[in-house]
Amino acid sequence: MNNIIFLILRRMRIPLIAVIVSFGFAVGGLTLMPGIVIDGEVSYLSLFQAFYIISYTATTIGFGEVPHEFSTMQRLWMTFSIYLTVIVWFYAIGKIITLFQDVSLKIAVTTARFARSVDSLSEPFYIICGYGETGSLLVNALDHKNIRVVVIDILQLRINELELEDFQYDIPALCADACLPDILIKAGARHPLCAGVAALTDSDQANLAIAISIKLVNPALMVLGRAENVETASNMASFGTDHIINPYTLFGEYLAMEVHALGTYLLHEWLTGVPERILQSPVCPPIGKWVVCGYGRFGKSVVKNLQREHMTTVIVEANPELTGCKEYILGSGAEARTLEEAGIRDAVGIVAGTDNDINNLSIVITAREINPDLFVVIRKNKRYNDILFEQFRADISMQPSDIIAHACLAHMVSPLLAQFLLLARNQSNKWANQLIAHLVSVVGEQVPETWSVTVDYHSVPAVATLVSQGIAVSIDNLRRDPGNRDIQLDLVPLMVVRENDHILLPDYTFQIKRRDQILFCGRTSAKNALAYVMNDPKTLNYIISGKEIPDSLVWRWISQKLKR
Amino acid sequence: MNLEKVVFGFFIVLALSLNYGFFIGDIDNPIHHHPYELYAAIIVNLIATVLKFGDRTQIGAVHLATSLVADLHLIAAAILYAAISGTAEEAIMINHVVSLSGGALLANFISVVLLIAETISLRR
Repeated sequence: MNNIIFLILRRMRIPLIAVIVSFGFAVGGLTLMPGIVIDGEVSYLSLFQAFYIISYTATTIGFGEVPHEFSTMQRLWMTFSIYLTVIVWFYAIGKIITLFQDVSLKIAVTTARFARSVDSLSEPFYIICGYGETGSLLVNALDHKNIRVVVIDILQLRINELELEDFQYDIPALCADACLPDILIKAGARHPLCAGVAALTDSDQANLAIAISIKLVNPALMVLGRAENVETASNMASFGTDHIINPYTLFGEYLAMEVHALGTYLLHEWLTGVPERILQSPVCPPIGKWVVCGYGRFGKSVVKNLQREHMTTVIVEANPELTGCKEYILGSGAEARTLEEAGIRDAVGIVAGTDNDINNLSIVITAREINPDLFVVIRKNKRYNDILFEQFRADISMQPSDIIAHACLAHMVSPLLAQFLLLARNQSNKWANQLIAHLVSVVGEQVPETWSVTVDYHSVPAVATLVSQGIAVSIDNLRRDPGNRDIQLDLVPLMVVRENDHILLPDYTFQIKRRDQILFCGRTSAKNALAYVMNDPKTLNYIISGKEIPDSLVWRWISQKLKR
Repeated sequence: MNLEKVVFGFFIVLALSLNYGFFIGDIDNPIHHHPYELYAAIIVNLIATVLKFGDRTQIGAVHLATSLVADLHLIAAAILYAAISGTAEEAIMINHVVSLSGGALLANFISVVLLIAETISLRR
């Protein structure tokens, strides 16, 4: 803010000096001009009178000739003064108005306002660089999950969009280049409550620049980097970017997961979804021969993962030299002839994975005409084509922005969630299905909230106090309603981390120790009730023993006497 | 030599000298204090103030503050002078006008001291 005042003052120097000098000259001269003769003496205007006259003349108010009629000499001087002072006055006013419309000044003002609102954040927050399709999805989900965010984007258009959205929190947003370290610091990279940075811009180069600046400015900060090229990803990994998100690799993995472990996939989608949204149940891709059109980053990842699931793949590629494809059928896949050649009639599925939405749609429509039973996987590139994709109803449609947003959420909501999902992938599909069935019975079909709790005096005083007093607190105690302990809360403890051990789905009799980290999943109401249980020793005591502890010393003494 | 520094120094010293010129003389004698000198002091002080705008250094901030103090005193003196000139109380009230300009003189003096201090501490 200080900078802005200095900027204004500095720019106003010349106009102000011009006003002072011209006024001074005109006023001084006017007092020296001989006026009309009154009572035999030549009258002169005093300095004050002259200042008064020049003031109303320069500002074009013009009260006339006071206190007496002017003499010819005075009128001559006034004529000169009018041209001098009025011009200077308008010059100064014009300068001041231009100054307030100055682009650099406006930017300075908005940047200062942004930096101040970031400074005043008093809860942990994430910095989101890039408010495109991915960024907007992620910001929306984080806002739903009560996590604060700060947004930087290089396009004013997108910032305007954000300002029009209806969020529960006020989101500080700035139109600036996030590659500039100064901007990142203004966005809170050095703020003690900053929890992490997500570099989600369209450009890999920009994401790389953001990741490296953050690692230098504040190495402790978690950095999530979107990288669509392998080179960028390995570059990011080289300086310790915490999580590198490549949407194509991820989609390939998800597709493989859908083929061999639908339950695990569903669990993944569920726990990283936007709360209160109803989840659609996915379909299991068939096993057999697949035709993959487009061997780009997407196609490569899909082929690799399909082959790992022991499926035969036929690649259709229009530009084999560029993509480094060995066995292929030449063509874009949009013509029936190429598809016939690829053996579309005896294939079970088709993957339309070019980077052009219209081509992809054309491919799958042609393919379905030839073979109506095909399982269709389609790559969506642009969100504005959503309507077309909805009309077509593909079995699986892959949208990079959705995938990146889900992956970011898994890391941002709680580090425990990401660990849990990783461990869940190693479990059997049956295990995942059982867990989903259990979750649905407790939480319902809506996307639940996921949150983690660390057992210490600071965050959960009641539990920590009771545990240190030697009273056993079990997981079961934590899932009881604070009002009536016979009622269960709508939540499921997913994992307990004790030192380096990860205990998936702990028993209800599991005893809590200090410094345990517990991952819960459940409804918002249950989350609020749990916070109450964990913070109020009296409530927790009631839940454990079924007895109310008196509040005051006197009553405690009386109740002890009565017990004896 | 830097022309900006010349202009800057000129106006600051001129503000002090004009101010002193008005102040000097018997405090209760209107003949010793010419209104044009006060007028010139105000104009030069205002210019000096504007010249000090936009300097971010600590010493620049104190410079600006002393100038603002001097402006305040001189403008108050001018208003008072305009109100009393030609009235019967002029001989008595002139005391206050001159003492106000004395306050401004002190502020202008500090301003000049700062200017000298700044010049001396300049190492190049």
